[in-house]
Amino acid sequence: MAAERTLQQIITQLKSNPSLPYAEASSLLSKAKLVYEYGALASIRARNPDAFTRYLSQLQPFYELPSSQLKPDAEMRNKVTGLYLLLLLTQGSYAEFHSELESLGTREGIDGPDRIESDRFLGYPVKLERWLMEGSYDRVWKAMKKGEVPSEEYGVFSEILTSQIRSEIASSSERAYPSLPLSSTKSLLFLESEGAVVEFARQRGWAVRDGTIYFPTAAEAGEEEEKDISQMVIENTLGYARELETIV
Amino acid sequence: MPGKTPNSNGRKPVENGLQKNSKDADKSAAKGKPAAKKGAKEGEDMTVVVPPSKSTKQSSQPPPADAEGDVAMEDSEKTEEELEVKVDPVTQTISDIKSNFALLDRAVALFDARFSLRALRSISSLRKRLNPDILAQVIAESYPPTSPSASVAKQLLSAIGRENVPLGRQPTGSEMEVDSEPKTQAKNGAKKDKETNKELIPEVDVFLAILVQVYMFDTKQFQQGANFSKYLSERIHSLNRRTLDSLSAKVYFYFSLFCEQLTPQAPSPQSPVVTLRPTLLAALRTAILRKDVDTQASVIVLLLRSYLLTSHISQADLLVSHTQFPENAANNQVARFLYYLGRIRAIQLRYTEAHEHLTAATRKAPASQCALGFSQTATKLLLVVELLMGDIPERATFRANNMEQALHPYFLLVQAVRVGNLEDFESTLAEHADTFRRDSTYSLILRLRQNVIKTGIRMMSLSYSRISLRDICIRLHLGSEETAEYIVAKAIRDGVIEATLDRERGFMKSKEVGDVYATREPGEAFHDRIRACLALHDESVKAMRFPMNQHRLELKNAQEAREREREMAKEIQEGDLDEDDLGGDFDGM
Repeated sequence: MAAERTLQQIITQLKSNPSLPYAEASSLLSKAKLVYEYGALASIRARNPDAFTRYLSQLQPFYELPSSQLKPDAEMRNKVTGLYLLLLLTQGSYAEFHSELESLGTREGIDGPDRIESDRFLGYPVKLERWLMEGSYDRVWKAMKKGEVPSEEYGVFSEILTSQIRSEIASSSERAYPSLPLSSTKSLLFLESEGAVVEFARQRGWAVRDGTIYFPTAAEAGEEEEKDISQMVIENTLGYARELETIV
Repeated sequence: MPGKTPNSNGRKPVENGLQKNSKDADKSAAKGKPAAKKGAKEGEDMTVVVPPSKSTKQSSQPPPADAEGDVAMEDSEKTEEELEVKVDPVTQTISDIKSNFALLDRAVALFDARFSLRALRSISSLRKRLNPDILAQVIAESYPPTSPSASVAKQLLSAIGRENVPLGRQPTGSEMEVDSEPKTQAKNGAKKDKETNKELIPEVDVFLAILVQVYMFDTKQFQQGANFSKYLSERIHSLNRRTLDSLSAKVYFYFSLFCEQLTPQAPSPQSPVVTLRPTLLAALRTAILRKDVDTQASVIVLLLRSYLLTSHISQADLLVSHTQFPENAANNQVARFLYYLGRIRAIQLRYTEAHEHLTAATRKAPASQCALGFSQTATKLLLVVELLMGDIPERATFRANNMEQALHPYFLLVQAVRVGNLEDFESTLAEHADTFRRDSTYSLILRLRQNVIKTGIRMMSLSYSRISLRDICIRLHLGSEETAEYIVAKAIRDGVIEATLDRERGFMKSKEVGDVYATREPGEAFHDRIRACLALHDESVKAMRFPMNQHRLELKNAQEAREREREMAKEIQEGDLDEDDLGGDFDGM
């Protein structure tokens, strides 16, 4: 709240003195930017993604200002942007993630994706995305533990990411294994105890017998498809006949 | 090029015009060597092949039927090519420019945009020969000093730095003597027209202004060019004439080209490209309200280009979703639009759509040398998208003689992906990173890593019925067996391979490969092809052009025939019809 009040103050100051000397105006601008940035970080801590997105879109024009008008603070900027990328990742909006990534390449002070990867804050979500796409879930898991997280705010997403990769692993296990012993499922799904595994299996509807999980097989869909094929062929052929009639 | 027979040249000038323009647009997209090479190559075939004053001839003839326009040109070309040697280039250029005025006149009189398009196409042939003196002379000769449009002419003159040339000067007689007999007549005829009709139409102003723009662009006067274009676009906006549509599209095109060249260049958010956007958006709004298809198409394309230059992908996407690209836009605009759309979709991971758009773009791209840059850029992107979709592009794509060199890095990339060799992939990526970055495909290619792994797994699943996770891990250079296990599990879920994992013993067991022909796959492929053929048929029917009121004529004929038949039937009934009569009538039908 205090932050919002400071912001109001700055904006009114800027509005009332359009002829403000340059240096002063830019110091006010950077103050406003700082307020927005802290607002963004605070909203992440408060687990309020909507507020964060709002702050971020307000920050966007600041980041597009040339460095002569507003001294850039690369670290803070990358931190906030990295958080945004991570947020998009956890929300599963990959299209936005990549659009954002593409625009990062043209930003001042960053040339090329190489630099993005080597940046502590930006590199983190980029690497996570690549591992998620590849399926190297153990690396994602490792990256979230052991102090690999670049800053405290990034840790907030760990929980969401964990449940995300867990369900990914579960769905691929369903198809990949005919059965799994409980003990190895525990390590596979990064769960704490076998009790948690049983609980998880119950949620997903897996059968647990004699310390082994049996996955439901997906073999029921066969019959219907057969029918579908003949129906499809008939429909298509009728369609061709109709088209031919209009042509000839 | 000069070896070509005049017959095959019949359609050449038309194509040249189109391609030249699309090349311009993609000069910076193709960035670098192909553009430079092309420039030189084009230079020679422009001056030799293109018959310059075909329109002079036409304007002196009675307007030919549209369908015959191209055929008639061929004849004139033969004579023209012989003449060209004798004619002084300056005079030639001037008369060429002036001959376009006649076309524009007709465009206005007949309200047919095709004539102005024809005038625009000649720009590419004029381009190489333009210089301020020629322009000044044309302007001076065309504008009488007393006419109300003299101020416009003054503006044009000052733009090319020839403020002190007096208006209304008559060409000297000696220039005429060089011309051969029929052409002199044609020119005299044209001039007489002009003298009787003192007031010049605005189309001619704008056409000359476009020539000035072209000249400025070629001589790299970007700042002046931008200023001049700004003035010009304002003027066009105030004129509001439907016959100006195709010309104004061109004006905006050059306006935006000028802005792109100004410092700071594109990726920086302070680039003039960004400040140009409101103007373009305003132009787009006006164009849509006035149903001005040409400007609409070209401005949409320019806006997309500008957004993509500064990587404002989401804005570009919004623009696409909020506007409708005119259906009957010029072919090269459609090709460009599809290319940009393909780029946006590729970035958004909508590969299927991207693939569709890019395939269409490469097919619609003009096939000759001049648009090579565009086809190369589009093909590159298409290749990457195909790879991302998990397809392997055809080998023949890389063998096309004008593409081979440009596509070489991509060829290596495809090889790495095809074999599933992660190491090769990484090394190719590192080696050609600069090329990929210049083509702005780098970030897309980075996404290919997972495809390489998937292909690798698939290859292994096909070759081995059972393979240990350790071996997979070593073959694919993965970090650990655990990683390998997760990756294989994901591949199985995504349907890349048919296999099961055995965790206790740590191996992957491949399932028997089913018969593809037992699935619905072949039927679907067949259906797709039939659908494509039908769509092609529909489109070609739509593309046909029918002469106005022709059907009425046919109706009348049919009516007459029926009348005759009825009469005949009556006569037969009455029985006073002899054999000859009958035969004659049938012949007539």
